[in-house]
Amino acid sequence: MSKPIPLYIKREIYSSTELTGNYFVLRILDEELALKCKPGQFFELRAAKMETDCSLPKLFKPISIYDVTKVIISFLIKKRGSGTNSLSKSTTTDLLEMIGPLGNGFPIVSGRNVLLVSGGIGYPPLSYLYKELIAQNQIYWIHGGGGSNDVFPCNEVWTIDGSYGNKGMVTENLENILTEKKIDLIYSCGPIPMLKECFRKASKLNIEQYCSLEAYMACGIGSCYGCAVPIGKNDQWNYLRVCQEGPVFNAEEVLWNLL
Amino acid sequence: MEPSVNKLQTSLGRIMLQSPITVASGTFALDNLKIVEQNFLGAFVCKTITRHPKKGNPPPRLFETEAGLLNSIGLQNPGLDKFIAEDLPVLKEKLDVPLIVSFSGSSYAEFAEMLETLEKQEGIAGYELNVSCPNVENEGIAFGVNPDIVHQLCKQLAPLTERELIVKLSPNVSDIGMIAKAAEEGGATAISMINTVWGMAINYQNGKSMLQKGIGGYSGIGIKPIALALLYQAAKVIHIPIIAMGGIYKWQDALEFFWAGASAISLGTANFIDPLAVQNVYAGINAFLQERNITLSDIVGKYELE
Repeated sequence: MSKPIPLYIKREIYSSTELTGNYFVLRILDEELALKCKPGQFFELRAAKMETDCSLPKLFKPISIYDVTKVIISFLIKKRGSGTNSLSKSTTTDLLEMIGPLGNGFPIVSGRNVLLVSGGIGYPPLSYLYKELIAQNQIYWIHGGGGSNDVFPCNEVWTIDGSYGNKGMVTENLENILTEKKIDLIYSCGPIPMLKECFRKASKLNIEQYCSLEAYMACGIGSCYGCAVPIGKNDQWNYLRVCQEGPVFNAEEVLWNLL
Repeated sequence: MEPSVNKLQTSLGRIMLQSPITVASGTFALDNLKIVEQNFLGAFVCKTITRHPKKGNPPPRLFETEAGLLNSIGLQNPGLDKFIAEDLPVLKEKLDVPLIVSFSGSSYAEFAEMLETLEKQEGIAGYELNVSCPNVENEGIAFGVNPDIVHQLCKQLAPLTERELIVKLSPNVSDIGMIAKAAEEGGATAISMINTVWGMAINYQNGKSMLQKGIGGYSGIGIKPIALALLYQAAKVIHIPIIAMGGIYKWQDALEFFWAGASAISLGTANFIDPLAVQNVYAGINAFLQERNITLSDIVGKYELE
């Protein structure tokens, strides 16, 4: 797989839309950049005004690509800390600092019975993937969140507090879904405990699985090794970089007990 | 770029640098050169290599604080053999600036063996000895915290090379001047300083440390005054050039270090905060020198105490 060419640019924000539950969508207009993007890839983002807003500059934040049309790249972001809060305050014509597209995307398949499993802010990369897969595959999508503010369009919603959809963890009814829908491929993105549970249950049925991992990141282009996760089989494993060798990994090769 | 009009040219012992800006080991890889133009760089310092491959530390390895970055990477690297077979040829092909190979050993013999192996390779301008590793011959204390050990190490390695021999000093010592002097007297041709400062962060809600290993290395803007003070202390007692690093983010920061005695500076965490840091700092220093019609050497070590 050819590696992405890291690129640092500043672009005006085309639109910024507030959603419920601390989520917002940023859009960038750039046809050339849009052509380079693949589902599962991400950008390192920072609000350019961050430097003047805060007394001290901060690191970029790795943000998955949510959607790409011919000319527009969208990011669905949750406000979590100073970096994402600063991004949420950016408005049209404010500049966005971007490095990317970065990382390797999801493998694109056809003729499969696919299950998408997302949790919380794991939703955006699967949304982009869904769009790429839907014409050639049967897809069933389950999504879980803390409460009604953390849900997005899909086939089946689970909330921990039961305020929307089914009450419980998104992986609760996984075995039944896998059997009933005759799933032969899973893509997942979300919190590590969710990914672990998804792998634990689906691996019993030998179902192929790919997961997108999130990691604390500094450079985003492979120089700092800060985002490394244990990948491999048995004794043959190493810490691979989420930004460079990931963020998508074959779930079977992730050493879940070390995460 | 004509050397005669290059006000930023600097000397690092045995090598001339066309720019006084280098990069801190482990913060800048070849892929950064897809963002930063190489001709603003004086030298390229690779990520520290050890004799055998190292997996590094378990994640999480990073945490950003209010004024800097905590890391606990654990020297993850492919080991010397793979570095020579796979990485070095690419570095030699892609780099137009001097390559400084950073390496670390766990004993005098291992340092010497690594140096002798690297000596057989072309395209290396110098070495940066990372002396933060525990010295197994001295009950596991780090080489870099004991002046006698630093002296002994340099004395053993200096006769083995004609290339630049840089010793990277840790700030986590009681008298950095003494250690810098020990390196100089042992035969080091330059000093680089400082490595990261010990640091830690805890999640106040659940009491868990933010790094898997607890304590890590603290770098970035917050350590600049510490690095400057330590540089000042070392520069007073040694005569070999110093590459200064520690919280340098802007060109103004870099100038402080030149005044205090640095012949060159390194950007580390700054590369993460500002992907164009190398060229932005270069441009700022250049404008400052042009405006005053002076060269870098006119200010190196010319600080004055109020």
